[in-house]
Amino acid sequence: MRNWFLLGLFALLLLASAWAVPLGTLPPADLTLCNGDEVGTLDPARATGTPEGRVLRALFEGLCSWHPKTLEPVPGVATNIYRIRDAQGRKRWACLAPDGLTYTFLLRKEARWSNGDPVTAADFVWSFRRFLHRETAPDYAYELWYIRGAEHFTLGEPRPGEPVEVELPPPPGKPSNLATRPVLQGMLVQVEQQRLPSGGSETVYHVRLERDGTVHRYVVREPAARASNAHAPELPGVEVAHWIVPSFAKTVAVRALGPHKLQIVLERPTPYFLYLMGFYPMFPVHRETIARWGQQWMMPEHFVGNGPYVLHSRRVRDRIRLVKSPTYWNRERVQLEVIDVLAVKSDTTALNMFLTGQVDWVPTVPHTVVPELIRRKMLRPGSYLGTYYYRVNVTKGPLRDVRVRRALSLALDRRQIIDTVLRAGQQPAYSFVPPVINQYLEALGHRYQVARCQQENVKLAQELLRQAGYPQGRGFPRIEILYNTSEAHQAVAELIQSQWKRHLGIDVGLRNMEWGAYLAAQREGDYHVARAGWIGDYPYPDTFLRMFHSQSANNQTGWKNARYDELVDQASREADLGRRLRLYEQAERILMDELPIIPIYYYSSLAMVRPWVRGWERNVQDVHPFHGTVDPLPDGRPGHPGIWIDRALRRRLLQGAGAW
Amino acid sequence: MVAVWFVLRRAFWIAVTVWVVFTVSFLLMKAVPGGPFDRERALDPAIEARLKARYGLDRPLWEQYWNELRHAVRGDLGYSFRMPDLTVNQIIAQGLPISASLGLLALSFALALGLTAGVLSALARGTWLDVSLRLAATVGIALPSFVIAGLAILFFVFLIPLFPAAGWGSPRQLVLPALCLGGPYAAYIARLTRTSMLDVLSQDYIRTAYAKGLPRRRIILVHALRGALLPVVSFLGPAVAGILTGSLVIEEIFFIPGLGVHFVQAALQRDYTLAMGLVLLYTVLICVMNLLVDLAYAVLDPRVKLE
Repeated sequence: MRNWFLLGLFALLLLASAWAVPLGTLPPADLTLCNGDEVGTLDPARATGTPEGRVLRALFEGLCSWHPKTLEPVPGVATNIYRIRDAQGRKRWACLAPDGLTYTFLLRKEARWSNGDPVTAADFVWSFRRFLHRETAPDYAYELWYIRGAEHFTLGEPRPGEPVEVELPPPPGKPSNLATRPVLQGMLVQVEQQRLPSGGSETVYHVRLERDGTVHRYVVREPAARASNAHAPELPGVEVAHWIVPSFAKTVAVRALGPHKLQIVLERPTPYFLYLMGFYPMFPVHRETIARWGQQWMMPEHFVGNGPYVLHSRRVRDRIRLVKSPTYWNRERVQLEVIDVLAVKSDTTALNMFLTGQVDWVPTVPHTVVPELIRRKMLRPGSYLGTYYYRVNVTKGPLRDVRVRRALSLALDRRQIIDTVLRAGQQPAYSFVPPVINQYLEALGHRYQVARCQQENVKLAQELLRQAGYPQGRGFPRIEILYNTSEAHQAVAELIQSQWKRHLGIDVGLRNMEWGAYLAAQREGDYHVARAGWIGDYPYPDTFLRMFHSQSANNQTGWKNARYDELVDQASREADLGRRLRLYEQAERILMDELPIIPIYYYSSLAMVRPWVRGWERNVQDVHPFHGTVDPLPDGRPGHPGIWIDRALRRRLLQGAGAW
Repeated sequence: MVAVWFVLRRAFWIAVTVWVVFTVSFLLMKAVPGGPFDRERALDPAIEARLKARYGLDRPLWEQYWNELRHAVRGDLGYSFRMPDLTVNQIIAQGLPISASLGLLALSFALALGLTAGVLSALARGTWLDVSLRLAATVGIALPSFVIAGLAILFFVFLIPLFPAAGWGSPRQLVLPALCLGGPYAAYIARLTRTSMLDVLSQDYIRTAYAKGLPRRRIILVHALRGALLPVVSFLGPAVAGILTGSLVIEEIFFIPGLGVHFVQAALQRDYTLAMGLVLLYTVLICVMNLLVDLAYAVLDPRVKLE
């Protein structure tokens, strides 16, 4: 018996070891890249983050794409993405009417989903409805609220006299989601509180349905997956609806004017709206697939997309394999057949894999080895549209005084921080909007003049601190720098701590918190000075400067300035991009005088690619689409070929004496 | 019959333990500042409210607790908050076999190396062999696994390119992580085996065996080793639970898609459902392994009675 037990245990171990060694591996891909982290979701509407963006741009395509080099909008599913000269000789987008609000997109007839279905205007209307729907609740909802009626559709409570859409429960056996529920158009007549026989009360909606003019009464049961109150109402003659929302068809200005003609009217002029149409949350999704598979629709076996690639396989925290789509309209400009996207999280591991030839592209490298990689000519840091800064809580003690905030900024030696701690080609920041934004704006014929704060000046800093009542830092209450756990943030904070001590004589503590607690502390204003970073969502100053509007949830400094708010509001209503930029310049001037934030450095991009990966362009958003553009571009310039592999160069380099 | 009763009774207590762990974890997760919808870019408050409603986080705490418990009992842990394409069950089903197979390999290696070294060390007590083996074991225990992994990569990937730097799929990719993961366990097992072997070798029944004229090999491998295994077995229970659910450090360094990374990420990102799923999985594994250890004791040592 004993021997049997031991033998059994031993056999089990052997079996397990045999099973552990997986048999057979995938054939290698044309291009393998590290993606920085696991992709949270492949549903464009819910995705947020750089790793997600890289994959989604391959799987889907929006109305426009971005030019790999300049990032300007180029034709995607829509064909009329180019600029024309109007009667006064000014350039404007062909799809945008002279009112600056009405976009009419002509969709290409050859655009196909990966199951062969044509991509139509109705697909976009449906996808935008899904994106804006309160059930989806995406992070980026506000990016489509520029559309007339959109914000009300997402957030508004329907009022009597308003057209509404009643979403009924789906047929039995189907998952309840936006693709399966029948939607009835109607007019909300009355909302009343009705008593229940068992006590309590219920909100009952009276809706006159469009199809036959009869009034039906509904109670709303939100189809929350894990909530418990989905039982039917006790009231006679009352039906259950899953949602009653403002009518998308009647109140939101997104309309299919034909199978290949889509019209969108904006609430207010938004120069970067077209750019946003190439941003991954706005990509269309395939309705029948979602109807059929519910939340599992982006599993490889069910997946349907309209992009240059389709999803071959996916293993969590391992890899996503993309293969070229046979139905994509611009197949000649898709040169890589198979791409592996690895969810490598550790920069060091990614670097090891790069150096030993397992991957061709890493999005970033560990800071400690940057100087060595630059010396070996493997890495060339690029400018990146992001700013690392310290947020100052202007409601706390001495930080209320603008002289103190200016002293703190003047006493910083930003060069020293970059040269001793970061060493990765960053540039010292004296403005919040990174000047590199002009690389993009200049392609459109515009320029933004950043407003700068003063450079280092220790004498002036000491003088300001004295005026504020703390000569040589005497009597200055102890403040703390808050940062989230990371060696780099800690090193920067320690250096700043010593610079402030040396130059101003003030004692500063360090407070390290893990990510969730760090975010909560800032949101609740429980900090003095906190490290922060902001990467622009799009290359326009709006993404930076709207943050410090007093109404913005991202402000978190307690700072309010009526003039600043006014300038930002005025800018967001201005149709002319040039005048808009002038207003933002003035707003940033105020920000840099008042300093509720202290800019420290502009981020740099530390992506590394092997020399035989061609068509990989540096740009300010560090975005690198795999596929190319139409060729030639509508204005006659040659198109971009997309990423391709120079096989001859690869053979030569790999045979060469181990340079790579 | 006794054994069946024993197992049934233990099963009941395991259920109670799991329930207590569920409750405590649930309360702790809700008590920690921050939530699953915290972003660097603050969400629109209305959108955040909608998200909370979707996951039932807007309801009173007791109701959330009851809902989660009801689902958990049926084995439905829900969708992950941070990877909403996948259910917690799918994530565990993908990661656990990988972590477990790597763990089993590492454990087989640790057992083979540790037992051999421990027995040799005990037999050669006081010689240079004993001293060097003990030294190696001490170093193995003292060095954190990321140091061992770093050195292993430096030597066997860059200096002598024998193995790939990272990844999962081919047998060659398994060697380094299994060695690095198993190393500290091997060292610990070696020390345990040596101590208990020395203890057993001085017992009367071993002297009797020698006196009977049994061959030395048989005495050591059959009579002494069986007694010396007991402390190793009780160490193995929790060790197996730990090693099967993956190692954060090894999995991250060698880019292995196991469960180890999820343990830390789920907690840091406030992925309530995934964190709960992993905590429950770990609890069940620990309890079951301890039960198996107790059963193994009864098999290995006739003096132990199940009661």
